[in-house]
Amino acid sequence: MGSTRSRARRAGAAAVAALTVGLLAACSSGGSTGGGGGDGKVTLKMTVWGGDVDKKAYQERVDLFEASQDEISIDLQLIPGDAYEQKVQTMIAGGDGPDILQVAEGVNVYSSKSQIIPLDDLVADAGLDLDDRFGPVGTLYSYQDSVYAIPDRSGAMIVYYNKDLFDAAGVGYPSADWTWQDAQTAMEKLTVPGEQWGFAGASWWAQWWSFAYQNGAQIIDDAGRPAADSPEVVEALQWANDLAHVHHVVPTAAEYADLGPDMSGDPAFAAQKVAMNTTGFWAINGLLDVDFEWDIAPMWQGREQAVSAFGSGLAISRDSKHAAQAFAAIDFLTDVEAQEVVIKYAQDVPANLEVQQSDAFLNPGWATRDVNMAAFGESSAFVFRAPLIPEWNEMQAAFDDNLGTFWNEGGDAATQLAKIQSQLESIIKPAS
Amino acid sequence: MTAALGEAFGAARATSPRRAGGRGVPRQKLSRRRRAEARWFWVFISPWLIGFLGFLLGPMVASVYISLTEWDSFTEPEFVGLDNYTRALTQDPVFWQALGNTFFYALVSVPLGLVVGVWLANLLNKKVRGRKFFRTMIYLPTLVPLVATAMVFKMVLAPSGPLNDLLGVVGIQGPSWLLDPVWVKPALVVLATWGAGGATVLLLSAMNGVPKEFYEAAEIDGAGPVRQFWSITFPQITPIIFFNLIMGLIGAFQIFGQVYILTSGGPDNASMMMVPLLFREAFSFYHFGYASAIAWLLFVVIIGFTALAFRTSRSWVFYETEVR
Repeated sequence: MGSTRSRARRAGAAAVAALTVGLLAACSSGGSTGGGGGDGKVTLKMTVWGGDVDKKAYQERVDLFEASQDEISIDLQLIPGDAYEQKVQTMIAGGDGPDILQVAEGVNVYSSKSQIIPLDDLVADAGLDLDDRFGPVGTLYSYQDSVYAIPDRSGAMIVYYNKDLFDAAGVGYPSADWTWQDAQTAMEKLTVPGEQWGFAGASWWAQWWSFAYQNGAQIIDDAGRPAADSPEVVEALQWANDLAHVHHVVPTAAEYADLGPDMSGDPAFAAQKVAMNTTGFWAINGLLDVDFEWDIAPMWQGREQAVSAFGSGLAISRDSKHAAQAFAAIDFLTDVEAQEVVIKYAQDVPANLEVQQSDAFLNPGWATRDVNMAAFGESSAFVFRAPLIPEWNEMQAAFDDNLGTFWNEGGDAATQLAKIQSQLESIIKPAS
Repeated sequence: MTAALGEAFGAARATSPRRAGGRGVPRQKLSRRRRAEARWFWVFISPWLIGFLGFLLGPMVASVYISLTEWDSFTEPEFVGLDNYTRALTQDPVFWQALGNTFFYALVSVPLGLVVGVWLANLLNKKVRGRKFFRTMIYLPTLVPLVATAMVFKMVLAPSGPLNDLLGVVGIQGPSWLLDPVWVKPALVVLATWGAGGATVLLLSAMNGVPKEFYEAAEIDGAGPVRQFWSITFPQITPIIFFNLIMGLIGAFQIFGQVYILTSGGPDNASMMMVPLLFREAFSFYHFGYASAIAWLLFVVIIGFTALAFRTSRSWVFYETEVR
């Protein structure tokens, strides 16, 4: 239904300037004309975020789906990442939500407000075994025991390391067996004061939360209560921050700002300013053409193994009048054939386990050098489950609002986390 | 909203001839020509009228209601009375911090911008070589898109960036501007002052409009350049200064882009302003009711300051036409 209607509406909007009548007509026609209803061909609207690579990858997957049958076609809308949430929110609020939408950490903003539909019945009807297809992340996008999105892309955070710098410093390459102490010793050896740093830092939640979970902590406990001020979290956060302000093996915010505008771990690693960086799959794309040797490894460990994972899933909005068709599309898009496209464009780690373990993924065609792609599969065994609560954005803001100066100038983790904990307690209402 | 818009439009059309006849002209009937003219009036005014009713007044009225509800934009709004307002004023420390930051920004950047603007305009009003070139150069910064400006300033304000290098020359150890809670607001003021050329253009044209005879007469009376500026130029351009003050205040209270791009309100909310705050509440936290309440509180603040400026204007703004 989406495309015809929205086109009519856009045409109406264009006419406003010249013909006021045009506006009234186009708006009032909103509810009645649904393109592609009935028993003929169905057109679904699908929204995803990303850039050029994502556009190519998603479009090719959609094309594959359309070629596989002739009942359903998909109108793909790519929205730049920073505007995605607002755009989709506005579409849903206006009663014109996409049939299929890409969701990530914010999934339960939608599910808790019944804006996307539970998929359990559709999954059962299709005979889809989530555990078999996706492993432990199969039910990642759940709310109150119902699955609300099917995993589409999913990869653990990994350690990128600059082999040249490691060799020059005579340090062994990172591995999952490293402890915090091993990591810190390596960072110290890899640091040249004022010029080069051992590690890019861990100020992003995905990074320092990994340390916290490695330390046996949880940010939100199993009962849904915030636990941000536990001694384990304090210790992990303090360590992450001390790496910059006490041990000076991580660039401080001021040192980053001096490296250039919008400088952070990923570009600093590509510029050989830091020897190690922890981030997701996407950094590979920017490193294919650099003129130094690098590789990836699974995250090191603390008292236990833990690492965060990134990814996204596909959900169906409440506005969709073709939920069954939308699910058929999602089923196809997360199956082997379509998921291989994700590898082809070096877009991300496909969530489909079979594809993740395939030779196409482990020895990708685009690789200009040997990359230890098995690091992703190895990591998936110890990925921790991030608390994707409905108040995700508010929770992140509570951390940001209280850790800004802490990261910039150093400080006491316990003090800041106590403040954060009390804010979280007022923000988060535990699920009943 | 469509329906409301249609009704409003219809109502305006239906009542218009009556009102025009009843109030404006006490005589019997409108002549055919005047009626035709009235009709054309409504035809030509309608694009603005529809825009105003549908896209400004409508949303404004709606936001009053929304500010009295708790609404996530997805589900039905829930009426909560004045809760959002009391929460902002009594329970939310971030609101007061943002309000304080916005006050600081507006009350420093606007007067500073005006002083710099008047100073530049006065310089450019002198007969110097390359005057046109300098005028262009000073206006140029206002033409650079905000995003580009902000990106450049990120580099300029870096801890070892050009600005701190410059301060270093005179022996001052510059702060880490955008990373330091104390200096992040002054950094935004620096950015605002960079665009002071916008006011300069208006002030310059006002200075050009000051009759030359005044200066000639003053010169004969023995007034120097400083005396001429304070006794002739300044009083004559006060209406334009006043205009810039009002527009500047309104603009400064609504600061958004610079904060959004440069700091996102950090560190620790030290640069959080009113509009970024309400944007975050609405589009990141899905608290549309609370965000609307913040918007109306901001409206009250702006109205208050504008009224204050108008009130004091009587004692310092000089309109030539009013003398007599």
